[in-house]
Amino acid sequence: MPTLIINETEAQLVVTVDETRIDAAIATRFKDRLREIVLRGRKPVRLDMSRVDFMDSSGLGAMIAVRKALPESLPLVLEGLTPNVERVFRLTRMDSVFEIRPATTPQA
Amino acid sequence: MSSIERQNAGPKSRPATRTQPMFHRVLQADPQDVRQALTDLRARFTPAVDADAMGRLELVLAEVMNNVAEHAAAPGAGSGSMHLCVIMQEGGLSCAITDDGGKLPADCLKPRNLPALDPLDLPEGGFGWFLIQGLTQSLCYYREDHRNCLAFTVPYQLSGPISG
Repeated sequence: MPTLIINETEAQLVVTVDETRIDAAIATRFKDRLREIVLRGRKPVRLDMSRVDFMDSSGLGAMIAVRKALPESLPLVLEGLTPNVERVFRLTRMDSVFEIRPATTPQA
Repeated sequence: MSSIERQNAGPKSRPATRTQPMFHRVLQADPQDVRQALTDLRARFTPAVDADAMGRLELVLAEVMNNVAEHAAAPGAGSGSMHLCVIMQEGGLSCAITDDGGKLPADCLKPRNLPALDPLDLPEGGFGWFLIQGLTQSLCYYREDHRNCLAFTVPYQLSGPISG
């Protein structure tokens, strides 16, 4: 099972992806697990991706499916993308769909 | 001049031994074996290949091999294994992937655009061959008897339309 560390506050859900790879070997389980978490939370989501050093198109597909499962009004912010992960978002232009922030911002 | 020097003489003399890493693996066509092969490949080529080229190589190979795992090596179609070979050449990493599964549809190799980016219904797939085509050079495919052979180069430095 993909390891996702959940830190819920009143205002938001911070999910840390504790996996080094989001690839075809775990994409489906990753999608199901993350979708379940964000749908249960019904809050703005910050996803800390700084431990992920590889993602392929099936991992990207999982991220898109989770984004689509959330109402458009709820933000899904991706933080701490490593170069290999950032490349996939950029080449597929999905960096225009997700809100991507360079590093962890101080908690409001 | 010794006989060895004579053998190595001439305008294109090469060192007698190559010390660059290479990688060859026969693996089961499933995502877990693909992951293991890519992890081992990264260890083999680091630090001879820089992180940017390594990242592009790993992405392309993941896309190709997961396609093989998903489509070509379906149950009943071939042995369910594939071969991967990667060597370092002058301008990039030359790769060959072969398998004995079903034939690759011709559409895969036609020039690709990104799937339509409809904000109301985002595509969740269809990125694989776009990435493969964009990140490789000299991409070629042939069918030899019952085997698919796909070969391409991932350049060390990027100068193409998509940088990455």
